[in-house]
Order: sequence, then C-alpha cells, then structure tokens
Amino acid sequence: MYRYDEFDLGFVSGRVDQFRDQVRRRIAGELTEEQFRPLRLMNGLYLQLHAYMLRVCVPYGTMNAPQLRKLAHIARKYDRGYGHFTTRQNIQFNWPRLQDVPDILEELSEVEMHAIQTSGNCIRNVTTDQFAGAAADEIIDPRPVAEIIRQWSSLHPEFTFLPRKFKIAITGAPEDRAAVRFHDIGLMAQEDEAGEVGWSVYVGGGMGRTPMIGQRIRNFVPHEDLLAYLESVLRVYNRYGRRDNKYKARIKILVHEEGLATIREQVDSEFEKVRGGILTLPEEELSRIRAYFAPPQFVLSDDRFNLADLKRNDAGFARFVEYNSHPHRQAGYTSLTISLKPIGGVPGDATAEQMEVVADLAERFSFNELRVSHEQNLVLPHVAIRDVRAVYDVLKEYALAEANVGLITDMITCPGLDYCALANARSIPIAQDLARRFGTPERQAEIGPLKINISGCINACGHHHVGHIGVLGVEKKGTELYQLTLGGDASESAAIGDILGPGIVAEAVPDAVERLVQTYLGLRETKDETFIAAVKRVGAVPFREAYLAT
Amino acid sequence: MQILTANELLSGASVYFGDDRHWHQDIQRARIFSETEASELDGLIAAAVATKRLISVAAEKVRIDKGRVVAQRLRERIRAEGPTSPRHAVQPLRESDHVSL
Repeated sequence: MYRYDEFDLGFVSGRVDQFRDQVRRRIAGELTEEQFRPLRLMNGLYLQLHAYMLRVCVPYGTMNAPQLRKLAHIARKYDRGYGHFTTRQNIQFNWPRLQDVPDILEELSEVEMHAIQTSGNCIRNVTTDQFAGAAADEIIDPRPVAEIIRQWSSLHPEFTFLPRKFKIAITGAPEDRAAVRFHDIGLMAQEDEAGEVGWSVYVGGGMGRTPMIGQRIRNFVPHEDLLAYLESVLRVYNRYGRRDNKYKARIKILVHEEGLATIREQVDSEFEKVRGGILTLPEEELSRIRAYFAPPQFVLSDDRFNLADLKRNDAGFARFVEYNSHPHRQAGYTSLTISLKPIGGVPGDATAEQMEVVADLAERFSFNELRVSHEQNLVLPHVAIRDVRAVYDVLKEYALAEANVGLITDMITCPGLDYCALANARSIPIAQDLARRFGTPERQAEIGPLKINISGCINACGHHHVGHIGVLGVEKKGTELYQLTLGGDASESAAIGDILGPGIVAEAVPDAVERLVQTYLGLRETKDETFIAAVKRVGAVPFREAYLAT
Repeated sequence: MQILTANELLSGASVYFGDDRHWHQDIQRARIFSETEASELDGLIAAAVATKRLISVAAEKVRIDKGRVVAQRLRERIRAEGPTSPRHAVQPLRESDHVSL
C-alpha cells in the first residue's frame, strides 16, 4: 500500500499542530463556536447528539495492521472501546473529548492516517471496491488511480469550498462493488478497442433527498488524461453548481437541471483547455505509484475449497466459506470478508479487541493488508485457502465469524437517531429486530442474497435508496415511522427503490419485511433466482399488495 | 413549558440549565420556563452563548409526566438519556467541564 513521502508527513503533522492551536484558542475563548466550527469540520470533528464525533479517513478503504491497531488504541484510550465503520469506508469515534482530539490526530499521523476532508464542501475520501487488487474479475487494480486522485484532491486550492461535498468512487472490475453510479463522479475501468485500459466516467449520481443514477458522460478517458478530465468536471460544477440552495447544490441537480448534453459540452470545452498540460499523468509517475500496490509474494498453490465435503463435515465453517469468501485472482487464495453484522449487534461496530484481533490476522494471514467495505465490513484480501480454517477459528472466538455476507442480515445501517443530530428516527434497533427475525443460518440460506439498507433520515447515509429492500426512518407527530422501498440496486444494474406505501411503526417492520420475503419465496422461479432478480422480473405489484396487507 | 439545553464545549455533553443557574446533565434538574418567561429565556440563551463554553444552545418543549420532566421530541429524550440499543450512558461531565451563568 501507499507510504507517505516527506511531503505527506510534513503536511499531516503540520495540520495536527495547526488544529492543536485552534483547539487551544477555542478553549481559551479566543474563538467563538461560529469561528471554530468550520475549522473543526475541516478536521473531521462533528458535534452529534451526545458528544463530539471524529471521522477518520481510511483512504479508499485500505489499511494495514498497525493502522487498525492504532484505531483500536484510540478507541480504548480516548473513546469507549469501539469504533463504527461507515459506508464511506471510514471509521467514526462517537465519544471523544475536544481537548483530546489533537492528541488523537497526532497518534493517527504516526501511522499515516488523518481526518482531513472527511467533512466540508470538498472532495471527500475516494472509495473503491473492497476487493481491489485481489478480485478474480478485475480488469485493473484501481488503488493506484485512487491514490493519485487522493493526492490531487487533498487541499486542492480550487476545490476546497465547492457548492457542496463531492464524492468519487472507482472500480476496476465489471461487477460494481463500489456503487459508482451513486456518486458525484463514478469511474469504471474500461478497455478500448486496442485493449488499452482507461476509465468510463459517470457523473451526477447520488442518494440523499433527491436520489439519482449517474449518467455516463464519457466512454473512455485514458489514465494520462484522467486528472485533467476530473478537474474539468469539478470546474464546471464549481462554476455552475447552485450555491443558492444547499438542497440543490450537489452536481446531480446541476446535471438534472442543465441536461447531460450541456454539462458534457461544458466539460469537454474545459477539458480541451487543460488536456496535455500540467495535469497530464506521466507513465513513470503512474508506475511509481503502482509499485506501492504490487501484488504480495503469493505462494503457488492449487488449493481449492471442497464445499460439498465441508458441508458434510462442518456446516458452520462451510457457511463461512460459502458466504464470506470471494474469488481471488491468485490460485490458492481467497478474500475473506469479516462481517461486522452479528445477529442483534450494531452494524459496522467493532470493539478495540476485535480490531486488534483482525490486525493480528492481517499480519499473520493477509500480507499485512486490510480493507473496509462500503457495506460496513472488514476484509482480509489475500488469505491462502489452506489458512482459512485457522482464520475462521480465531474469528469465531471473538464473535467475528458471522456467515452472512450478502444475505438478509448483512444490512447497511446508519447510526440513526441514537447518535446522529440530523436523524429523524432510529436505525440500529430496526436492524437488530430484522436480524433477530431472519438470523438463523437456515432462514438466511433459504432466502439467499438480499440487501436491506436502513437510513434514519432522508440524507440516506444508510443507502436505503439502493437496498433491495430499503427502510427510511421519518418522524411524524413525535412518532418514528418507517417507509419501505423495493427494488433498489447499487450494482452495475443500478436502480432506485420504489416506495411501497405509507410509513409503518417500528414494531411492524419485521412483519412487513416478512411479507415481502414470503412473496419472493412464493414467486421465484428457481432457488437460484435472487430476490432482486425476481423483483425485476415481476415488478413491484405483488410485493406492494403484500406490504399493504395487514 | 420549555427548558434550556446545550452541549458543553469540552465534552460535547448534553446539559440543562437549572434553577441554581448551573448547567446539569440530569434533565430532571432543568428549570421549567412557562410561556410568559420567553423574554427571560432569550436573555439566558444569549448569556449562555456569550460564555463560549456552550454550543447549540436552544429552548426545548417538555411536559411533566408523573412528576418527571419529559422532552416532547423523541430526539431530545434520546439526547437526555443516551443511545438506546445498546444502551450507553450519556457523555459524563468532568469537574472542569462545569459551567454556570
């Protein structure tokens, strides 16, 4: 993975010193909250319902063991012994005290981490496929390009005060595991007719109160021109994005109001001016960055899982292998997802002890590499198949071996009203109730792949719009109500879910989801037809009827 | 009926303005303001902001239920009692965090 150079080290430690002085001035009364607020937000420090919340950046979801160990240390020393992994592949601490934050940032800088640009109207953490550099279906490892985008976008002088926040996602595989069409800019690796790999660019996607699917603005941008093209898109957005209304300030609204053709024309015009200039990425620089992401020294092996054998001999382990392993590009290896969705637990949370255990496993079994997925799980990207049993045994001991990845209990869930100052309703208890209802291994296996995403408000941090079943918390006359949507899809077949009917109370959500599941089980053509495939085949009508039935 | 609430600067903890002019963590110690005390409430909000030790200072509607102060909004009830599932205690104030007007 990428290692800081002297510039990076100086830049991050300089920011720590700067923020330490800002905190000192705030506590001394030299700064008002109005003056201090933008400064703390630039360093990832929010004020939530009960306390401050510090959002720490995990660049494109990639970490090593010492970094995760440091996060565990911070959780234990400065917080309450746990952290919350987010859909932005970051981690949040819910209980830091203001005067401790400079120390936390200093500790983070020791392992090349920070909280810069995790808030504010700037380019946020670039997100990517959690199996980047490991997936069998990958056309290209997107991490070097993600790192180049990180360097370009960090404290970019022109784009530090955009009309609104700006999110870029990138995937190097044809299967979109990074929800690229729901980002301000989405990049998908693409081969041109000559076999050269470049990037297909989508623009104007997003969730929130106005969900939109990103549209392809350019079929192919070569590596060397990518920064120039991104800069062109950002310039058009920075110039024409609506600053008059924060709810209409994202690029998706600009694209929607002006039309893709107009935006494309403006971007192309800008691109012609900057193309071939200082932003051109030389092949030698790309190679230099690529070297940081060179594949580890894999041991040649033709080991494979024999799932039938495993199912006969150890059903629990077989389920773990079936659901939590992902095909690796190197024979004899697999990528293992560590589910942070224990039945009845808080989705995305990990204790300090669990983080340390995972860090140890990464060192012992995954070449010191770790990933955070946008689905709020952790990943050991390169595990030898012969080591999977040993990894599983350790995970089991620390309540980390839930075999549910991609199943109904692997829910994306925002912190909701239990923590968030913006939320209207709680999300976590809904996820817990649903997990308890559907959580037996047999039930989950019977239902098969099904994504439930839960948000506590219309800002959609829980990605409810793209849940196969989405749950949106709203508040009506002091009561939490939940609106269910159907048919959302974050994959390459991107779709926004349709609202099924009026909101229902929390206690009614498990039964409502039960009726949707039963409808699916009753109408699927074969056991291999997934929930979302069945919804796309038959449409929403039978599901809506089931939802409305009491 | 209203109470006066804020977040304390150092801890970020939820606090409530009491009859003794100190800020307390326990909502049950909050002073209750009647509709006729709106102008005094405005003055206290301005004074609280001026301390620079209190953030998000606001009046919040409450009711009295069996002798206990209960915030009207669920958000405020969770804010007063802590996250619900699992239940976490609210952020504690340390000695140095206490503020008075």
